[in-house]
Amino acid sequence: MLFKAMLFKATLFKAMIFKAKFDTALITLLLFLGLAALCSAPAVGGPYAAAQTGASQESWQKEFDEICAQTEDAMTFSQAELADLIRRCDNLKPRIEKSDESRRKVYLERLRKCRGLYAYVLDAKKLDAQKLDAQKLDAQKLDAQKKEKK
Amino acid sequence: MNNKIFAILILVSCLFCGLALSQTGTKKKRPLPYEYGRVVIDNYSQKADLAPVVFEHWIHRSMFTCRVCHVDIGFAMKAGATDIKAADNAHGYYCGTCHNGKMVADGKPVFAACSRKFNLEDEKRCQRCHSYGLKVASDFDFFQFSQPLPKERFGNGLDWEKSEELGLIRPASFLPGISAPKNSLALQKDFALNPKVEGMPDIIFSHKKHTVWNGCELCHPDIFMGVKRGAAKYTMVDISEGKSCGACHTTVAFPLTDCQRCHSKPVQP
Repeated sequence: MLFKAMLFKATLFKAMIFKAKFDTALITLLLFLGLAALCSAPAVGGPYAAAQTGASQESWQKEFDEICAQTEDAMTFSQAELADLIRRCDNLKPRIEKSDESRRKVYLERLRKCRGLYAYVLDAKKLDAQKLDAQKLDAQKLDAQKKEKK
Repeated sequence: MNNKIFAILILVSCLFCGLALSQTGTKKKRPLPYEYGRVVIDNYSQKADLAPVVFEHWIHRSMFTCRVCHVDIGFAMKAGATDIKAADNAHGYYCGTCHNGKMVADGKPVFAACSRKFNLEDEKRCQRCHSYGLKVASDFDFFQFSQPLPKERFGNGLDWEKSEELGLIRPASFLPGISAPKNSLALQKDFALNPKVEGMPDIIFSHKKHTVWNGCELCHPDIFMGVKRGAAKYTMVDISEGKSCGACHTTVAFPLTDCQRCHSKPVQP
Protein backbone atom coordinates (compact mmCIF):
# COMPACT_ATOMS: atom_id res chain seq x y z
CA MET A 1 0.00 0.00 0.00
CA LEU A 2 2.81 2.26 1.01
CA PHE A 3 4.72 1.25 -2.10
CA LYS A 4 1.70 2.01 -4.28
CA ALA A 5 1.32 5.41 -2.65
CA MET A 6 5.00 6.16 -3.18
CA LEU A 7 4.76 5.06 -6.84
CA PHE A 8 1.75 7.28 -7.34
CA LYS A 9 3.57 10.20 -5.75
CA ALA A 10 6.60 9.65 -7.98
CA THR A 11 4.41 9.45 -11.11
CA LEU A 12 2.57 12.58 -10.07
CA PHE A 13 5.86 14.35 -9.40
CA LYS A 14 7.21 13.27 -12.80
CA ALA A 15 4.01 14.43 -14.47
CA MET A 16 4.24 17.76 -12.73
CA ILE A 17 7.87 18.20 -13.80
CA PHE A 18 6.96 17.24 -17.36
CA LYS A 19 4.04 19.72 -17.38
CA ALA A 20 6.25 22.48 -16.01
CA LYS A 21 8.93 21.74 -18.64
CA PHE A 22 6.29 21.58 -21.39
CA ASP A 23 4.83 24.92 -20.29
CA THR A 24 8.28 26.55 -20.20
CA ALA A 25 9.14 25.18 -23.65
CA LEU A 26 5.80 26.31 -25.04
CA ILE A 27 6.16 29.82 -23.61
CA THR A 28 9.76 30.03 -24.86
CA LEU A 29 8.69 28.88 -28.30
CA LEU A 30 5.83 31.37 -28.43
CA LEU A 31 8.07 34.16 -27.20
CA PHE A 32 10.72 33.25 -29.77
CA LEU A 33 8.18 33.17 -32.60
CA GLY A 34 6.73 36.49 -31.51
CA LEU A 35 10.16 38.09 -31.29
CA ALA A 36 11.18 36.67 -34.67
CA ALA A 37 8.02 38.01 -36.27
CA LEU A 38 8.61 41.42 -34.70
CA CYS A 39 12.23 41.58 -35.83
CA SER A 40 11.77 40.19 -39.30
CA ALA A 41 8.80 42.31 -40.29
CA PRO A 42 10.60 45.64 -40.55
CA ALA A 43 13.87 44.08 -41.75
CA VAL A 44 12.41 42.04 -44.57
CA GLY A 45 9.59 44.44 -45.17
CA GLY A 46 7.31 41.98 -46.79
CA PRO A 47 4.91 42.66 -49.59
CA TYR A 48 2.39 44.42 -47.38
CA ALA A 49 4.97 46.77 -45.84
CA ALA A 50 6.52 47.48 -49.24
CA ALA A 51 3.14 48.23 -50.74
CA GLN A 52 2.31 50.54 -47.85
CA THR A 53 5.64 52.41 -48.12
CA GLY A 54 5.30 52.58 -51.89
CA ALA A 55 1.78 53.98 -51.68
CA SER A 56 2.68 56.68 -49.13
CA GLN A 57 5.82 57.54 -51.10
CA GLU A 58 3.78 57.78 -54.28
CA SER A 59 1.31 60.14 -52.65
CA TRP A 60 3.98 62.55 -51.40
CA GLN A 61 5.91 62.29 -54.65
CA LYS A 62 2.81 63.47 -56.52
CA GLU A 63 2.38 66.35 -54.09
CA PHE A 64 6.09 67.18 -54.37
CA ASP A 65 5.94 67.26 -58.18
CA GLU A 66 2.85 69.46 -58.07
CA ILE A 67 4.47 71.96 -55.72
CA CYS A 68 7.93 72.11 -57.24
CA ALA A 69 6.71 72.09 -60.84
CA GLN A 70 5.51 75.65 -60.29
CA THR A 71 8.82 77.32 -59.47
CA GLU A 72 9.05 78.77 -62.99
CA ASP A 73 5.72 80.54 -62.46
CA ALA A 74 6.55 81.85 -58.99
CA MET A 75 6.70 85.46 -60.19
CA THR A 76 3.16 85.29 -61.56
CA PHE A 77 1.56 84.09 -58.30
CA SER A 78 -0.30 86.28 -55.84
CA GLN A 79 0.85 86.58 -52.23
CA ALA A 80 -1.93 84.24 -51.12
CA GLU A 81 -0.96 81.61 -53.70
CA LEU A 82 2.68 81.80 -52.65
CA ALA A 83 1.75 81.52 -48.97
CA ASP A 84 -0.32 78.44 -49.81
CA LEU A 85 2.60 76.84 -51.65
CA ILE A 86 4.87 77.49 -48.66
CA ARG A 87 2.29 75.91 -46.35
CA ARG A 88 2.12 72.86 -48.63
CA CYS A 89 5.94 72.60 -48.53
CA ASP A 90 5.85 72.69 -44.72
CA ASN A 91 3.17 69.99 -44.63
CA LEU A 92 5.13 67.80 -47.01
CA LYS A 93 8.39 67.94 -45.08
CA PRO A 94 7.46 65.50 -42.26
CA ARG A 95 6.16 63.01 -44.85
CA ILE A 96 9.46 63.06 -46.74
CA GLU A 97 11.36 62.71 -43.47
CA LYS A 98 9.88 59.22 -43.08
CA SER A 99 11.59 57.99 -46.28
CA ASP A 100 14.84 56.04 -46.44
CA GLU A 101 18.09 57.97 -45.96
CA SER A 102 19.06 58.58 -49.60
CA ARG A 103 15.58 59.57 -50.74
CA ARG A 104 15.09 61.77 -47.69
CA LYS A 105 18.39 63.59 -48.28
CA VAL A 106 17.66 64.29 -51.95
CA TYR A 107 14.03 65.31 -51.63
CA LEU A 108 14.42 67.41 -48.49
CA GLU A 109 17.09 69.43 -50.29
CA ARG A 110 14.88 69.79 -53.35
CA LEU A 111 11.96 70.82 -51.19
CA ARG A 112 14.13 73.34 -49.34
CA LYS A 113 15.03 74.96 -52.67
CA CYS A 114 11.37 75.14 -53.79
CA ARG A 115 10.22 76.56 -50.49
CA GLY A 116 13.12 79.00 -50.42
CA LEU A 117 12.19 80.38 -53.82
CA TYR A 118 8.52 80.80 -52.94
CA ALA A 119 9.44 82.55 -49.68
CA TYR A 120 11.90 84.76 -51.58
CA VAL A 121 9.32 85.78 -54.18
CA LEU A 122 6.71 86.34 -51.46
CA ASP A 123 9.10 88.68 -49.62
CA ALA A 124 9.80 90.53 -52.87
CA LYS A 125 6.07 90.88 -53.55
CA LYS A 126 5.42 92.14 -50.03
CA LEU A 127 8.15 94.72 -50.46
CA ASP A 128 6.74 95.81 -53.82
CA ALA A 129 3.26 96.09 -52.27
CA GLN A 130 4.65 98.21 -49.43
CA LYS A 131 6.37 100.48 -51.95
CA LEU A 132 3.15 100.83 -53.93
CA ASP A 133 1.21 101.66 -50.76
CA ALA A 134 3.81 104.26 -49.80
CA GLN A 135 3.67 105.77 -53.28
CA LYS A 136 -0.14 105.91 -53.12
CA LEU A 137 0.01 107.58 -49.73
CA ASP A 138 2.49 110.14 -51.03
CA ALA A 139 0.28 110.83 -54.05
CA GLN A 140 -2.78 111.23 -51.80
CA LYS A 141 -0.87 113.65 -49.53
CA LEU A 142 0.23 115.67 -52.56
CA ASP A 143 -3.36 115.81 -53.85
CA ALA A 144 -4.57 116.92 -50.44
CA GLN A 145 -1.89 119.63 -50.28
CA LYS A 146 -2.82 120.85 -53.77
CA LYS A 147 -6.50 120.98 -52.83
CA GLU A 148 -5.68 122.96 -49.67
CA LYS A 149 -3.65 125.47 -51.68
CA LYS A 150 -6.50 125.89 -54.13
CA MET B 1 85.25 102.83 -50.74
CA ASN B 2 84.57 99.65 -52.70
CA ASN B 3 83.90 97.86 -49.46
CA LYS B 4 81.30 100.47 -48.53
CA ILE B 5 79.51 100.12 -51.88
CA PHE B 6 79.66 96.37 -51.56
CA ALA B 7 78.13 96.57 -48.05
CA ILE B 8 75.36 98.90 -49.28
CA LEU B 9 74.62 96.56 -52.17
CA ILE B 10 74.36 93.60 -49.79
CA LEU B 11 72.12 95.63 -47.51
CA VAL B 12 69.82 96.65 -50.38
CA SER B 13 69.61 93.10 -51.73
CA CYS B 14 68.84 91.82 -48.21
CA LEU B 15 66.08 94.43 -47.97
CA PHE B 16 64.55 93.29 -51.29
CA CYS B 17 64.80 89.64 -50.26
CA GLY B 18 63.13 90.47 -46.96
CA LEU B 19 60.32 92.31 -48.72
CA ALA B 20 59.81 89.45 -51.14
CA LEU B 21 59.73 86.88 -48.36
CA SER B 22 57.42 88.95 -46.17
CA GLN B 23 54.65 88.92 -48.81
CA THR B 24 51.77 86.77 -47.74
CA GLY B 25 49.42 84.71 -49.87
CA THR B 26 50.08 82.12 -52.49
CA LYS B 27 49.76 82.37 -56.20
CA LYS B 28 46.97 80.22 -57.55
CA LYS B 29 47.90 78.03 -60.44
CA ARG B 30 45.69 78.79 -63.38
CA PRO B 31 43.97 75.54 -64.32
CA LEU B 32 44.46 74.15 -67.79
CA PRO B 33 41.40 74.12 -70.09
CA TYR B 34 40.63 70.46 -69.39
CA GLU B 35 41.14 70.96 -65.64
CA TYR B 36 38.78 73.93 -65.31
CA GLY B 37 35.65 72.96 -63.41
CA ARG B 38 37.23 69.80 -62.03
CA VAL B 39 35.91 68.84 -58.63
CA VAL B 40 37.62 66.45 -56.24
CA ILE B 41 35.30 64.79 -53.73
CA ASP B 42 36.67 62.98 -50.74
CA ASN B 43 34.03 62.68 -48.04
CA TYR B 44 34.33 58.94 -47.56
CA SER B 45 36.58 57.65 -50.38
CA GLN B 46 39.91 57.48 -48.58
CA LYS B 47 38.25 56.10 -45.46
CA ALA B 48 37.10 53.23 -47.67
CA ASP B 49 40.61 52.77 -49.14
CA LEU B 50 39.57 54.30 -52.45
CA ALA B 51 41.04 57.26 -54.29
CA PRO B 52 38.97 60.46 -54.09
CA VAL B 53 36.44 61.02 -56.85
CA VAL B 54 37.39 63.29 -59.74
CA PHE B 55 34.40 64.91 -61.39
CA GLU B 56 34.81 66.67 -64.73
CA HIS B 57 32.27 69.42 -65.23
CA TRP B 58 33.01 69.92 -68.93
CA ILE B 59 31.65 66.61 -70.15
CA HIS B 60 28.57 66.72 -67.93
CA ARG B 61 27.68 70.32 -68.75
CA SER B 62 27.77 69.50 -72.45
CA MET B 63 24.91 67.05 -71.86
CA PHE B 64 22.84 68.66 -69.11
CA THR B 65 21.95 72.14 -67.95
CA CYS B 66 23.09 73.18 -64.47
CA ARG B 67 19.58 72.84 -63.05
CA VAL B 68 19.27 69.13 -63.88
CA CYS B 69 22.14 68.25 -61.57
CA HIS B 70 22.00 71.06 -59.02
CA VAL B 71 18.22 71.31 -58.64
CA ASP B 72 16.62 68.09 -59.86
CA ILE B 73 19.27 65.60 -58.77
CA GLY B 74 20.24 67.65 -55.74
CA PHE B 75 24.00 68.20 -55.96
CA ALA B 76 25.18 71.04 -53.74
CA MET B 77 27.07 73.97 -55.21
CA LYS B 78 30.25 73.27 -53.25
CA ALA B 79 32.48 70.25 -53.53
CA GLY B 80 31.84 67.79 -50.73
CA ALA B 81 28.75 69.59 -49.44
CA THR B 82 26.34 67.03 -50.88
CA ASP B 83 27.68 64.29 -48.61
CA ILE B 84 27.28 61.59 -51.25
CA LYS B 85 27.58 58.05 -50.01
CA ALA B 86 28.11 54.92 -52.09
CA ALA B 87 24.71 53.68 -50.91
CA ASP B 88 23.05 56.81 -52.32
CA ASN B 89 24.53 56.09 -55.74
CA ALA B 90 23.67 52.42 -55.52
CA HIS B 91 20.05 53.33 -54.72
CA GLY B 92 19.87 55.46 -57.86
CA TYR B 93 20.42 58.92 -56.40
CA TYR B 94 23.08 61.56 -57.14
CA CYS B 95 25.64 60.04 -59.58
CA GLY B 96 23.55 56.85 -59.63
CA THR B 97 20.65 58.75 -61.19
CA CYS B 98 22.34 58.43 -64.58
CA HIS B 99 25.28 56.15 -63.81
CA ASN B 100 23.11 53.10 -63.33
CA GLY B 101 24.21 50.86 -66.19
CA LYS B 102 20.81 51.35 -67.82
CA MET B 103 20.74 54.90 -69.13
CA VAL B 104 22.00 55.14 -72.69
CA ALA B 105 24.17 58.02 -73.93
CA ASP B 106 25.80 58.14 -77.37
CA GLY B 107 24.45 54.66 -78.04
CA LYS B 108 26.26 53.17 -75.07
CA PRO B 109 24.94 52.35 -71.61
CA VAL B 110 26.29 54.74 -69.00
CA PHE B 111 28.51 52.80 -66.60
CA ALA B 112 27.05 52.11 -63.18
CA ALA B 113 28.44 54.08 -60.26
CA CYS B 114 28.69 52.38 -56.87
CA SER B 115 27.07 48.99 -56.42
CA ARG B 116 25.77 47.31 -53.28
CA LYS B 117 28.13 44.36 -53.70
CA PHE B 118 31.79 44.86 -54.40
CA ASN B 119 34.17 42.43 -56.09
CA LEU B 120 37.80 42.80 -57.00
CA GLU B 121 36.68 42.72 -60.64
CA ASP B 122 34.81 45.96 -59.99
CA GLU B 123 38.04 47.80 -59.24
CA LYS B 124 38.37 49.18 -62.77
CA ARG B 125 34.77 50.40 -62.73
CA CYS B 126 35.31 52.10 -59.37
CA GLN B 127 38.43 53.78 -60.66
CA ARG B 128 36.50 55.49 -63.43
CA CYS B 129 35.36 57.97 -60.78
CA HIS B 130 37.69 57.22 -57.87
CA SER B 131 40.64 58.31 -59.95
CA TYR B 132 42.43 61.07 -58.08
CA GLY B 133 46.17 60.53 -58.38
CA LEU B 134 45.68 57.54 -60.69
CA LYS B 135 46.25 57.26 -64.40
CA VAL B 136 42.83 56.27 -65.64
CA ALA B 137 41.84 56.35 -69.30
CA SER B 138 38.59 58.23 -69.90
CA ASP B 139 35.98 57.57 -72.57
CA PHE B 140 36.04 61.25 -73.43
CA ASP B 141 39.02 63.20 -74.69
CA PHE B 142 38.78 66.92 -73.99
CA PHE B 143 40.79 68.00 -77.02
CA GLN B 144 38.79 65.86 -79.38
CA PHE B 145 35.56 67.06 -77.78
CA SER B 146 36.51 70.74 -77.88
CA GLN B 147 37.83 70.78 -81.44
CA PRO B 148 34.57 71.72 -83.22
CA LEU B 149 33.37 74.11 -80.49
CA PRO B 150 33.81 77.92 -80.64
CA LYS B 151 36.73 79.06 -78.58
CA GLU B 152 37.09 81.54 -75.73
CA ARG B 153 40.12 82.79 -73.88
CA PHE B 154 39.63 81.53 -70.35
CA GLY B 155 38.14 78.71 -68.32
CA ASN B 156 37.72 75.65 -70.50
CA GLY B 157 38.72 77.82 -73.46
CA LEU B 158 35.26 77.28 -74.93
CA ASP B 159 32.26 79.49 -75.58
CA TRP B 160 29.57 77.24 -74.13
CA GLU B 161 26.75 79.66 -74.85
CA LYS B 162 27.65 79.95 -78.51
CA SER B 163 28.19 76.21 -78.72
CA GLU B 164 24.58 75.70 -77.68
CA GLU B 165 23.34 78.43 -80.02
CA LEU B 166 25.08 76.72 -82.91
CA GLY B 167 23.58 73.38 -81.93
CA LEU B 168 26.98 71.83 -81.31
CA ILE B 169 25.94 70.83 -77.80
CA ARG B 170 22.39 70.17 -76.64
CA PRO B 171 22.28 70.22 -72.85
CA ALA B 172 19.07 68.56 -71.68
CA SER B 173 17.03 70.45 -69.10
CA PHE B 174 14.69 67.62 -68.19
CA LEU B 175 15.44 64.18 -66.83
CA PRO B 176 12.44 61.83 -67.14
CA GLY B 177 11.36 60.43 -63.80
CA ILE B 178 13.53 62.89 -61.89
CA SER B 179 12.76 66.44 -63.00
CA ALA B 180 9.40 67.87 -62.00
CA PRO B 181 7.50 68.73 -65.20
CA LYS B 182 7.51 72.50 -65.53
CA ASN B 183 5.95 75.12 -67.74
CA SER B 184 8.26 76.99 -70.05
CA LEU B 185 9.78 79.90 -68.25
CA ALA B 186 8.49 83.38 -68.94
CA LEU B 187 11.14 85.48 -70.65
CA GLN B 188 13.28 87.26 -68.08
CA LYS B 189 14.64 90.61 -69.15
CA ASP B 190 18.36 91.30 -69.12
CA PHE B 191 19.35 94.18 -66.89
CA ALA B 192 22.31 96.46 -66.37
CA LEU B 193 24.28 96.93 -63.15
CA ASN B 194 26.48 99.94 -62.58
CA PRO B 195 29.99 99.22 -61.35
CA LYS B 196 31.50 101.39 -58.64
CA VAL B 197 34.74 101.99 -60.51
CA GLU B 198 34.56 104.97 -62.80
CA GLY B 199 35.17 104.20 -66.46
CA MET B 200 34.42 100.52 -66.01
CA PRO B 201 31.71 99.40 -68.47
CA ASP B 202 28.30 98.48 -67.02
CA ILE B 203 27.52 94.86 -66.38
CA ILE B 204 24.84 93.42 -68.62
CA PHE B 205 23.33 90.53 -66.75
CA SER B 206 21.74 87.96 -69.02
CA HIS B 207 18.80 86.93 -66.88
CA LYS B 208 17.46 84.88 -69.79
CA LYS B 209 20.56 82.73 -70.18
CA HIS B 210 20.91 82.24 -66.43
CA THR B 211 17.29 81.20 -65.93
CA VAL B 212 17.28 78.84 -68.90
CA TRP B 213 20.34 76.99 -67.63
CA ASN B 214 19.77 77.30 -63.89
CA GLY B 215 16.08 77.80 -63.22
CA CYS B 216 15.11 80.26 -60.50
CA GLU B 217 15.64 78.21 -57.35
CA LEU B 218 19.31 77.50 -57.98
CA CYS B 219 20.24 81.17 -57.50
CA HIS B 220 17.40 82.49 -55.33
CA PRO B 221 17.66 82.72 -52.40
CA ASP B 222 20.76 80.59 -51.74
CA ILE B 223 23.21 82.58 -53.86
CA PHE B 224 21.39 85.88 -54.34
CA MET B 225 19.34 86.37 -51.20
CA GLY B 226 18.60 90.09 -51.33
CA VAL B 227 15.00 90.85 -52.16
CA LYS B 228 15.25 94.59 -52.49
CA ARG B 229 16.59 95.52 -55.90
CA GLY B 230 19.86 97.42 -55.70
CA ALA B 231 20.20 96.94 -51.95
CA ALA B 232 22.82 94.19 -52.03
CA LYS B 233 26.34 95.36 -52.78
CA TYR B 234 28.56 93.04 -54.76
CA THR B 235 32.30 93.51 -54.66
CA MET B 236 34.93 91.83 -56.79
CA VAL B 237 36.65 90.68 -53.59
CA ASP B 238 33.49 88.87 -52.46
CA ILE B 239 32.93 87.47 -55.92
CA SER B 240 36.50 86.18 -56.13
CA GLU B 241 35.90 84.46 -52.78
CA GLY B 242 33.04 82.53 -54.35
CA LYS B 243 30.13 84.66 -53.22
CA SER B 244 27.25 85.72 -55.52
CA CYS B 245 28.43 85.49 -59.17
CA GLY B 246 31.62 83.82 -57.91
CA ALA B 247 29.68 80.71 -56.92
CA CYS B 248 29.90 79.63 -60.55
CA HIS B 249 32.20 82.17 -62.19
CA THR B 250 35.25 81.12 -60.21
CA THR B 251 34.70 77.42 -60.62
CA VAL B 252 32.79 76.28 -63.70
CA ALA B 253 31.41 79.16 -65.75
CA PHE B 254 33.84 81.55 -67.48
CA PRO B 255 36.19 82.99 -64.85
CA LEU B 256 36.54 86.53 -63.48
CA THR B 257 39.61 87.16 -65.63
CA ASP B 258 37.26 87.38 -68.61
CA CYS B 259 36.17 90.90 -67.54
CA GLN B 260 34.45 92.04 -70.71
CA ARG B 261 31.98 89.19 -70.80
CA CYS B 262 30.16 90.76 -67.84
CA HIS B 263 31.30 94.37 -68.13
CA SER B 264 29.98 94.40 -71.65
CA LYS B 265 28.02 97.62 -72.09
CA PRO B 266 29.97 99.97 -74.36
CA VAL B 267 31.21 103.06 -72.54
CA GLN B 268 29.90 106.32 -74.00
CA PRO B 269 32.72 108.72 -74.96
